[in-house]
Amino acid sequence: MSDTSQGTGGLSFDQSKRSWPNEVNVFGALIIIIMIFEILGATIMGQSFLLDSHDRFDTIFNEARLKIIILQVSIIGIIAIGVTQVIITGGIDLSSGAIVGVTAMIAMSFGQTELVNGNPNPKAIFGPAFMDLPILVPIIVGLIVGIIAGGINGVLIAYTRIPPFIATLGMMVTARGAAKWWSKGSPISFPTENYASIGSGMTPVFVFAFLAILFHFVLKYTVYGKHTYAIGSNEDGARMAGINVNRHKVLVYVIAGGLASIAAIVFSSKNLTAQAGMGLVYELDAIAMAVIGGVSLSGGRGSIMGTVIGALIFGVIISGFTFLRLDAYYQEMVKGMIIVAAVVLDQWRQRRAAMKS
Amino acid sequence: MKRTILAASLAIMISTSAYAENIGVSMALFDDNFLTVLRNGIQKLADGKDGVDVQIEDAQNDVAKQLDQINNFIASGVDAIIVNPVDTSATQAMSDVAAAAGVPLVYVNRQPINMDSLPDNQAFVGSNEIESGTLQAFAVCQQLRAEGKSNGARAYLFIGELQNQSAIQRTKDVHDVIGMDMCKFITLIDEQTANYGRNEAQDLMTNWLSTGEKFDAIFANNDEMAIGAIQAMKAGGIDMTKVVVGGIDATQDALQAMKSGDLDLTVFQNAAGQGAGAFDAALKLAKGETVNQSIMIPFELVTAANIDSYLSKN
Repeated sequence: MSDTSQGTGGLSFDQSKRSWPNEVNVFGALIIIIMIFEILGATIMGQSFLLDSHDRFDTIFNEARLKIIILQVSIIGIIAIGVTQVIITGGIDLSSGAIVGVTAMIAMSFGQTELVNGNPNPKAIFGPAFMDLPILVPIIVGLIVGIIAGGINGVLIAYTRIPPFIATLGMMVTARGAAKWWSKGSPISFPTENYASIGSGMTPVFVFAFLAILFHFVLKYTVYGKHTYAIGSNEDGARMAGINVNRHKVLVYVIAGGLASIAAIVFSSKNLTAQAGMGLVYELDAIAMAVIGGVSLSGGRGSIMGTVIGALIFGVIISGFTFLRLDAYYQEMVKGMIIVAAVVLDQWRQRRAAMKS
Repeated sequence: MKRTILAASLAIMISTSAYAENIGVSMALFDDNFLTVLRNGIQKLADGKDGVDVQIEDAQNDVAKQLDQINNFIASGVDAIIVNPVDTSATQAMSDVAAAAGVPLVYVNRQPINMDSLPDNQAFVGSNEIESGTLQAFAVCQQLRAEGKSNGARAYLFIGELQNQSAIQRTKDVHDVIGMDMCKFITLIDEQTANYGRNEAQDLMTNWLSTGEKFDAIFANNDEMAIGAIQAMKAGGIDMTKVVVGGIDATQDALQAMKSGDLDLTVFQNAAGQGAGAFDAALKLAKGETVNQSIMIPFELVTAANIDSYLSKN
């Protein structure tokens, strides 16, 4: 059942045989893409992509552009941190975008303010008793929603042994349905000032950075991390080595669900609204960020740092195309090609490394 | 005993269906602010009328699913069908099956492609899409003139979903208006899609702000994008009194943004009015009466001056 040629964990993984960590390659790709935009910017637009062309900022950089590059991928980035862990175990999570939708709806309905411009909130879900609640209430409610959804994913995958693709596909459809059902399709708006502050300004970036650093260390230096890689490299081996694989899988999906719900809270706050369609196909963007960042879909390989760089590549492409005033069509086409190219290059590199050894 | 109960219940079923007018409604999707108001408009009217039952289904933006729903409505013997088409170019098949079964059909909100060849017992209730973008662009133009910027103004345009007819039309309307002599002073710096979404518009605006270009106005194909742009401009420290922002839809969120002095104008499309119009037309057709095949509900411009009469409409 287990195909030992897949993944490079266990015996076949030998750090010394790799010339340099894969993250360096991904980072190199990021630099190359930035350089392309710099050259195109200089020739077409007559100004720099990342540097301050008009002396508007104190530093040599166009700070506004640096900020938006990271800001626009922070929310999907938070999801991608969870998705990365799931993929490292050899699984997949298609439900994260839908979990964002349902969490945003439910959390926001506990974070509404009673009066809008002096009038009663026109989008009120509950009565005044459930409005202007302390900020912790919507946050905790939101986290619970995400953890439950992730827990169901994990239990289904670990104990009924259905493929993660199917379990999370089911959750994707169910959670999206729940998001629409919650308010019968109508958007939920006008949060309290406290709730609105969660996602204002650069806060999404700080949340993303904090979680990325946290889980970078968790995956690298804790037992949780070691088990995650071990299961993805060789599940039977991990089981024989005494790892409680089922319990660990549930935990991984719970964390992914929790991270999706954090993304949802930040997201709905940033937009000051929750809508049932929120987070549509975010799961695919999150998976793509991880894959570009060198996370192997066959499990056992990849890192949070790679995913973060993958997210930055996305951000640079979006901002770069807007900078060049090119239509969104091209953006999507290039994004798709980069996803495939990243995996092709990675496969090729792996084969070469294997031949050398 | 069993038989009498069965017979009695059958009799009841027959008698209710003989009295009640059954109307099947297939909405393109439930998860849409505007379509929800429209759907609620239909439901409310039906609830208030004795002897009329509506069954509303969600086609989930799936053309095939919508056609199945129509076939199911016909199979269960409804007296009329209201369709809010997922894809306006796929309406011929819907008209055909309804016509073959002799069931009246009313399209709502999105104009069917076979408008010119609709059978007698089919109709369309909606608004003339050209009005919305034109009203918006013209009002922005007028406001810029009133602010003394008629010697040159620069604007950004937020486009909706590129595959959506309304986005294409509204974008064209803006181009047409700023091509007129009176509004020629407006130049577009850039136009991009933000897929009718608030978050995408917020990010797009922030990207535009990072170029440092000066601008005077924002055209947005819908309110969600206008609000996203406003949120980004406020975060970027732009003085909102110096920028004219125009949206379309007059959603609650947009009206509140107007109350706060951020959004300058929006265009109201009477969702509940369209729903009510479709319901009335369906009912009349079900009773064998004739209706006008094209029933147009006008768009209305909303500004700070007349906002109060719209606060409770959407």
